[in-house]
Amino acid sequence: MTEIGIEKLHVYAGLAAIDTAELFHGRGLDLERMDNIQQVRRSIGLGFEDPVTNAVAAARPIVDMLGDRKEAIEVLITSSESGIDYSKSIASYVHKYLGLGHRCRLLEVKQACYAATGALQLAAGYLASGLSPEAKVLVIATDVALVDARASYAEPATGFGAAAMLLGDQPEILRLDGGAFGMHSYEIMDSARPTPEADIADVDRSLFAYLDCLSRSFADYCSRVTSADYTSTFDQLCLHTPFAGLVKAAHRKMMRESGVSDPAAIAADFARRIEPSLVYPRQVGNLCSGSLYLALASLIDNRPDDAPARVGLFSYGSGCSAEFFSGVIDAASHAALRPFTLREQLARRTPLSFDQYTELLHANLAAIVPARDREIELEPYQQFLPRQRGPLLALRRVSGFHRHYEWI
Amino acid sequence: MTAKPMQPGVRAEVHAVIFSVLPSLMPSDIDESLHLKDLGADSVDRVEIIMELLHRLGLDEPMSSFSALPSIGALIDLLDQLQARAS
Repeated sequence: MTEIGIEKLHVYAGLAAIDTAELFHGRGLDLERMDNIQQVRRSIGLGFEDPVTNAVAAARPIVDMLGDRKEAIEVLITSSESGIDYSKSIASYVHKYLGLGHRCRLLEVKQACYAATGALQLAAGYLASGLSPEAKVLVIATDVALVDARASYAEPATGFGAAAMLLGDQPEILRLDGGAFGMHSYEIMDSARPTPEADIADVDRSLFAYLDCLSRSFADYCSRVTSADYTSTFDQLCLHTPFAGLVKAAHRKMMRESGVSDPAAIAADFARRIEPSLVYPRQVGNLCSGSLYLALASLIDNRPDDAPARVGLFSYGSGCSAEFFSGVIDAASHAALRPFTLREQLARRTPLSFDQYTELLHANLAAIVPARDREIELEPYQQFLPRQRGPLLALRRVSGFHRHYEWI
Repeated sequence: MTAKPMQPGVRAEVHAVIFSVLPSLMPSDIDESLHLKDLGADSVDRVEIIMELLHRLGLDEPMSSFSALPSIGALIDLLDQLQARAS
């Protein structure tokens, strides 16, 4: 059977960030709660960035690496809860600015933080069918954050950016375990974005649903994968990370349900199997449906060795739909990720004071609000551009609702 | 209508778990008409409290059953019902 999975993975996490401590001080939040959130800083957008520019920034290094072989990309799927039009997809703009070929399907999918995983699994099935040998699929999870002081303790844990994945039959990053998956979905109003200006969330309902869905989707996984066991089947684990504190609680719940209740044993297992996946999410914040793939990049870059390892992955999207699946990473995964220097990119983000941060928030909150005509000045954002950077796609103008971008 | 007797230990377990997650509380702070949020429990604390209670009481119940309880008293009542049903 042909191996299918993620060939390339690149994450774009913005150009500017604020330390969690600075944000807590600025908002007057209780510093004792920083331990539970376990966030170091959060990325934030500049006024010329939106879901399109984020997606292009994430995918462009992959497409550049392909050269002429980019013609093999015959499906482009953007997953987002930051749509910019009810009809026209983010993918249509991304397709243009990535310079992809015309023989390509364009789609945008939505199911909160699960959408990219749903797209990945559907694309993997298409690729495995053999209907179009040597085809590639580009899946890009892209979002902006619409949080401010009203989000309270969720604000420091909310990120900004996009994760791009090239899928195909040379899966250097992650070889999917074919047929090894489990789902759990039902309707629930735990969080939503009913307007382009506001996120709403019922925190308890959302966190509790996440935890239930992890148990239930893993149970479904076990019904398809005989003798699967949470404690021993997976060398590493990678969970959707709204914030690291929830992942820690989720892991403890799963260990207890698997018969392990000794706190020291659970803590040691967490440090060994999950901690490497949280290094980058703690630096960025929640990337919505890109969150799991930021965690996967973190795992590959930060685990102590490059030995072949089976990874259990869990994706949860409010509303809700969830999936537990698995795959294998090895030294080739690290080699495929290394040229993108994600660690260095995160370190190059411009650190923001609280006052600078609150100034930038206005543009962030307006990023996907429909406007018939609009001009975007770059000058206010020049001071935040890192000195070392490549070409950036910038939103410069909206004319008759048509968005116009330029490389800067 | 006669109320069913409370299962032994449910209230004590709820109080003990709240103190273990929020060690700075005094016994007099726990007013069962309050929500856990009113005692200073953040979202992770609330997850910890419910998870620990289900573990200690040996209950197999979805976390979502606890997402809209109005008070600590309502939490005790629900746990009591679940334990009675399980025993």
